[in-house]
Amino acid sequence: MQGVSLLVVIGLILYTVIAVVDQISIQCGLYTPLFAAVITGALLGDLPTGLIVGATLQLMTLGVATYGGATVPDYLSGAIMGTAYAIISGQGAEYGIGLAIPIGLLLTQMDILGRMTNSFFQHYADRCAENGDYKGVERANLLGLLPWVLSRVIPVALGLCFGEAVVNGVNAIIPAWFMTGLKTAGAILPAMGMAILMRYLPIKKYYPYFIIGFVLIAFGGATFTVMAAALIGFALAALHLTRVRDRVAVATMDEEEVEIDG
Amino acid sequence: MADKNQTGIGKLEKSDIKKVYLRNLFTIQFGWNYEKMQGLGYAYVIMPVLKRLYSGDPEKMKRALKMHLGYFNTTPAMSHLIVGADMALEEELGIEAEEAITGLKTGLMGPFAGVGDTLFIAIYRAIVFSIASYIAMQGNPVGLIIPLIACAGVLWIRYKFTCIGYQSGRKLATGFADKISPITEAASILGLTVVGALIPSVIKYRTDLQFTMGEVTFALQDMLDKIMPSLLPLAIVGFSYWLLGKKKVDSTKLIFVLIGLGMILGNLQSMLTFVVGIF
Repeated sequence: MQGVSLLVVIGLILYTVIAVVDQISIQCGLYTPLFAAVITGALLGDLPTGLIVGATLQLMTLGVATYGGATVPDYLSGAIMGTAYAIISGQGAEYGIGLAIPIGLLLTQMDILGRMTNSFFQHYADRCAENGDYKGVERANLLGLLPWVLSRVIPVALGLCFGEAVVNGVNAIIPAWFMTGLKTAGAILPAMGMAILMRYLPIKKYYPYFIIGFVLIAFGGATFTVMAAALIGFALAALHLTRVRDRVAVATMDEEEVEIDG
Repeated sequence: MADKNQTGIGKLEKSDIKKVYLRNLFTIQFGWNYEKMQGLGYAYVIMPVLKRLYSGDPEKMKRALKMHLGYFNTTPAMSHLIVGADMALEEELGIEAEEAITGLKTGLMGPFAGVGDTLFIAIYRAIVFSIASYIAMQGNPVGLIIPLIACAGVLWIRYKFTCIGYQSGRKLATGFADKISPITEAASILGLTVVGALIPSVIKYRTDLQFTMGEVTFALQDMLDKIMPSLLPLAIVGFSYWLLGKKKVDSTKLIFVLIGLGMILGNLQSMLTFVVGIF
């Protein structure tokens, strides 16, 4: 088993920095475990493993989001390290998925630490405001990027540099039944993403559409794809919009005086 | 509107709106902290406006800085509407409208977060990233383009939000939550259809459990398939959904439950063999 070359480590660290900025700004997707695993796989020369690890982790964490600033496990760092360990150990994608999750859970604390550190910059900005120093307030917010980046880059850098020793140690200890269990866990864990989404979407009100989507693929899986189901979902959504519009139009005609501005 | 660089009222210029838009896009969460959340970021985002309006008056600048450093938190994509409306109010009324501005910010950030988290986080991810992952799972990295294209669309929407918020000021901003509700409903329908479809296509777990009775071997999965395909994945999702409804279960705890379940399900056959071996 060969370790990770220095060039790849530097590449992955640079990627981590960009991904963290993406995560707290435009969220175009570079921060997701999907991109993280695929890019790690590509850099380490094993794209297929990256694709499987990334897709599985992504589907599993679909509904996991930082609503209202809550901390969620750091699947970005988890995906990078899980994929890297899976490839350098040659144990396969399921192994990577199995590792990415506990690593992500472990690093949850780093996110909390980063967010707490930023209180310091808030206080600094508050003091600047007392003096009308708007440049100081601007500086404080820009410096706030540092804890975010460091909280992800430090674990990734350490994990990649000492990864070989970690992976060897882990392989020597873990029994076969545990690996089998971990693989099955990897297969059923996407259920979490679905369940969280169902909690977040109004499923009690719109459960028929959920059933339609399920039946399309469960019974028609040979011919139907998720894209087909999404198109049917889109058609149903469009029908709903039309119905609402008609209802509003009728209601507006019934009431002669409609105050829009109140 | 004689000069096209002017925004209409006169004090702010079009370049100010663009600056605020770009700052909002990238930096509103840089200074996120547990005390004021996006408060520090908000002050940074609105700063081009403050500089334009108050840089000649230190007292007004102090008041404005203190006001905008206060607690703020909403879905970043929706914040553009609030910032836009704030710009309009401040340009028109100045810092004298302190209460109105704070009221507007505080009053809208909650409802907008509700709508925005559903639209721009839950539904957006369910659709965009599930399709991208689905394609990736087939071994094709081309699906990763989908989130990037969708993101370009969101960036455009966010720019429009800035303009809409600014142009309509407070009036539209308060009525916005009502107007958007049918769209939220339609988006939920689309999202739920996709979630339903994802369960059988993504969770491929099949049990390998077999019972041998004399000469005949029954495979449990074959029996389950006769009832309904993907019954086990649906049951596992249903179980997870039910657990999440419990007060003390969050997603992190659910992971442990599912890993435990995986450990049991993955070793079920050997456990059975072991038990049978005892007798």
